[in-house]
Amino acid sequence: MSSEPIERRVSYISDRLRGSRCPICNRRYFKPRNYCPQCGRKSMGKMEEIDFFYSKGILEACTIVNNATNRFKVLQPYIFGIAVIDDEIKVPVRVTDQPLKEEFKPEDFEGREIVFRFRRRYSVGTADIIPTTSLAVTFADEYYPHITYKIREPEEYSDKPGIVGYALYTSRFRIRERGMERAVPYLDEDSITAAVEAGKLALIQAALSGEKIGKVMVGTESNPYAVKPIASKVAQVLNLGENLADGVRGIDAVDTEFACKAATSMFKDAAALAKYMDEQGKDYFGMVIGTDNSQAAPRWEPGGELDYFVGYGAAAFIIGNRDVIAELEGWYSVTSDTPDFWRRDGQKYPLHGGRFTGEPAYFKHILKAARRLMDKMKLKPKDIDYFVPHQPNAKFPLRAARRLGFKDEQCLPALKVLNFGNLYSGSSPAGLVAVLDIAKPYEKILLTSFGSGAGSDAYLFTVTPRIVEKRRRTEKFNVKWQTNNPHLIYVSYEEYRRMKEGI
Amino acid sequence: MTNTIIIGVGRTSFGEHFHKDPEELIEEAGLKALQAAGIERKDLDAVVISDHFLQVTNKIGLEEGFISELLELNIPMETSRSFSSALNQACNAIEAGRYSIVLVGGVEKMTDRLDKIRDNLMMLADSWSYYSGGTPEALHEIMLREYAKKHEIKGEEFERLMETLAYISHKNHEFGAKNPHAQFYRRRVKVEDIIKRRRGGLLGIYDFAPISDGATAAVIVNEEKAKEIANLGLEVKGRASCTDHISYFTRDEMAGFKATRISMEKALKEAEIRREEISLIELYDQSTVMEMVALEDLKLTEPGTAWKIIHQSMEEKTYTYRFGNHEIYVNTNGGLKADGNPLGATGGAQLYETYIQLLEKAGERQISIEKENPYALTLEHEGFGTKSYVYIYGRWMI
Repeated sequence: MSSEPIERRVSYISDRLRGSRCPICNRRYFKPRNYCPQCGRKSMGKMEEIDFFYSKGILEACTIVNNATNRFKVLQPYIFGIAVIDDEIKVPVRVTDQPLKEEFKPEDFEGREIVFRFRRRYSVGTADIIPTTSLAVTFADEYYPHITYKIREPEEYSDKPGIVGYALYTSRFRIRERGMERAVPYLDEDSITAAVEAGKLALIQAALSGEKIGKVMVGTESNPYAVKPIASKVAQVLNLGENLADGVRGIDAVDTEFACKAATSMFKDAAALAKYMDEQGKDYFGMVIGTDNSQAAPRWEPGGELDYFVGYGAAAFIIGNRDVIAELEGWYSVTSDTPDFWRRDGQKYPLHGGRFTGEPAYFKHILKAARRLMDKMKLKPKDIDYFVPHQPNAKFPLRAARRLGFKDEQCLPALKVLNFGNLYSGSSPAGLVAVLDIAKPYEKILLTSFGSGAGSDAYLFTVTPRIVEKRRRTEKFNVKWQTNNPHLIYVSYEEYRRMKEGI
Repeated sequence: MTNTIIIGVGRTSFGEHFHKDPEELIEEAGLKALQAAGIERKDLDAVVISDHFLQVTNKIGLEEGFISELLELNIPMETSRSFSSALNQACNAIEAGRYSIVLVGGVEKMTDRLDKIRDNLMMLADSWSYYSGGTPEALHEIMLREYAKKHEIKGEEFERLMETLAYISHKNHEFGAKNPHAQFYRRRVKVEDIIKRRRGGLLGIYDFAPISDGATAAVIVNEEKAKEIANLGLEVKGRASCTDHISYFTRDEMAGFKATRISMEKALKEAEIRREEISLIELYDQSTVMEMVALEDLKLTEPGTAWKIIHQSMEEKTYTYRFGNHEIYVNTNGGLKADGNPLGATGGAQLYETYIQLLEKAGERQISIEKENPYALTLEHEGFGTKSYVYIYGRWMI
C-alpha cells in the first residue's frame, strides 16, 4: 500500500522538479525550501517558486545498477548517477530508455548532456497509486533532444479559433513486423507519461505559458486507472492554469473516452470555448491530448490479432483564439451504437468483432462524416490538400480515401501507422501532426477520426502563415525525426511484450 | 572532568544467527562484557544501547524495555543508532559526573529480513536517491567515480586503482580469516576473485561489507571506579563527531567525507597527539572505496594519494599501510568487510578489536606495537558519511 499523502508530496515535487530561489543571494535549490540556509531568517517567506522541468543537465558521475532495490528490479540493469543543472544544482537521476547490453563503461556516459523525462518512478501493487518522477533522464544527443522553452505573449487575434500549437510524442523503441514499425513504450512509460510529454512539446511549440490554458482534455482508452483522470496529472505537471497556491491550479481538466475518437471529439469543444471567450474579448486556450498505450493480448490469446498493430504515443494540440496556425473551418460528427470493438470493465484486453469492424463500423462512419462535412463546406476532394483518416492499419485509410474520391497522394503524408502503429486516441491526431509538419500556408486539411462503439468526427482546417515560424521551434523532435532516427532501438516480440507489461 | 575508561568488552560472532532473537545476541555480548570487566549488573548506573533497524526487522520499538527485562534493572536506559553514538552518550554522562559505570551495547538482526534489508538501508540515504533508483552500493560507486574524476585517474591508472581496491578487500579478508568472531572466519579471498566478481559493474560483492547479525558491548567507567575495579583498560583520549547533509549530492565535497575530516581534527586536538603516534585504525570500510577515502579524510595522506600508498603495500604484501616512515595497521579484525557489519553493533566490534590489540590480549592475532604509549583510532559512520565518529584510545594502567 502506498501512502497517499507522501505520494502527493513526492510526486508534486519530483514530477515538475520543483525548487526554490532565494531572492537575496540568488541561490537555487532542488526541492522547495521555506528559507535559504545561507541567508537564514531574513529570507523566510520570501523564497520564490522555481522548477527545473524544462532544464537540461550534465551527467556528472554514474554507475550501473545490476542489483536494484525491490521496486526497481524490473528496470535493472540501469544507470544511476548525479546530474548537475547549470553547474549549480545536483540531483540524483536514473537514466531511462537505455537498455544496457555491452560492458558498462562510465566514461561512455559521464559528461554528456541529459534531458529530464517524465516517467513512472518504480513498481507498485496493481491497486496502488502510480508513482511518477522527472528524475528519469535520457541523453540529449540521442532520441530526445533538449528543446528550450521560451514563453512569448500571444500577439495576433484570430478571427477563427484553431490550432495554436501541436506535438507528437512517440517512444524510442520500435518493433518491426509484417512490413510495419510500431512504437513500443519503455518499461516506465504509459498513457499518462506520453500525455505529459506531448503536452510539454506542444507548449514549447506554441511558446505559450501553461498558465494561459483554460481547460485540458485527455482522450484515452488505456488510462492505467479506472478512476482517476490523466488530465489532472497533465495540468499539475505542466503547471496549466493560474497558480492558486497550495498546489492547486485554476483550470478545468477532464478525461474523455470514446475508443479512438476520444480526443478528436474535443477539438470543437475547445474551439467553441475559445470563440465564446473571444466574444468577451479574452484570450483562451484549451489543450486536447490523445494518448494511448492500448492493451493487446499476446498473439496466442483471444483478440491477439490486435497485437500486430498496437502502437504507443500521444498527440497534443493547443486550440485557441490567438496566433492560430490552422484555423478550424467546420466540423461534422456522426454516431451509432455499433459493437465493433470493446473492453468490459475489469478485463485486461479488448476484443473486436472481426469482419464487423470494417464496412459496418470504420467505413460507414468515416465516409458519412467526411461526406457530410465536405457537403456542408461546399468542397470537393480536389479542393482539399490533405485527407487525414483514422489509421488502425495501412489498408483501411487508403481504401476510405479512395472511396471518398481522394488520390493516394492526398492521404499518404498523413499515413503514419506504418511508422508508429495504431496510436488509438492518438491515431488520426498523429496523422494531423505529420501533415502540419509539412503543410504550406492556406492549404486545407480534412481530418476524419473513427472511434469504435461507434462514431466519427470530421474537421476542416486551413493552415495559416504562422505555422512556418512555430513548427521550427520543435523541429528537433518533429515527426520526421521520430520516424527516421538513428537512435531508435528495435526490439524482439519478447522484449516488446515485456516492455508493454511495464513495471 | 574525569577520564573515561573502558574496562571490559564483549561480543558475539557476526554472521547469520538463524536461531537467535536479537535479545539473545545482546544478552551474550552484555554478559561477556560484564564478566570481562569483573562487575555485576547491579553495579550499573545506566545502559545505552544502539541499533538501526530493530523496529523494521524485528518490530522491536522499545529496546530499553527488553534490556530492563533481561537485566531485571530499573536504571536509566537510552537508545542510540550506532555504537559510537551510544558510547558518546556514555562518555558525556561519565565526564559530567552523572554516572560512574555505564554499559554500552549494540545489536542488529539484519538477516531476519534479508528480502527487504537493502531497501531499508536506503533509509540511511536521502529519499530522492532512492526514488531515482539508487542502491546502498550505488552511492559508493558514484563516490569512486567522483574520486577518479577529481584526481584525473583514467584508463590504465583507473584499472590500477580498481586493483588496489580489490587488495583492500583481500587484506581485510586475510585479517578476518584469523578472527574467530568474524563473519568470514577462515575464508580467504584472492585479489583476482574479487575482481572477477565485479562482473558487469564497477564494484562487486567482495567490495562491500556483508549483511550481518551480531551484538557487541562494553563497560565504561570513570577513572575513580576504574582504579577500584581494574588495573588495565582503554582510555578515551579524544573523541569527536560531526554531521553532514543526508543528501550526498548536495554536499560540498563528493570525493570524500567532510564529516570525517572535521571529526579527526577535533579528536586529535582533544587527545593532544599527532597522527604519527597512531598504530592501529579500525575504520568504516562499508566498501573498499570507503577504506581508501578514509585514509585521506583522516589526513594520513594527501587527497588523491591513498590508493597509491595502498598499491605500494599491495606490492610489498605487508598488510599494513606505510605513510612515509609511519606504519599503520588498518582493520585488523577484518573490518566491516570480513568481520561483518551488523550496523548498530559494528562500532562495538571496532572498539573490541582496539581493546584487545592495545592491551595485548589478541593472542595469535596480536599485532606488534613497538611504541611505548600506543594509540588506536576508530572511525564509524552513520549513513553514507552523514555522521562521522572518531575516537582515539590509549592504554590505561594503574
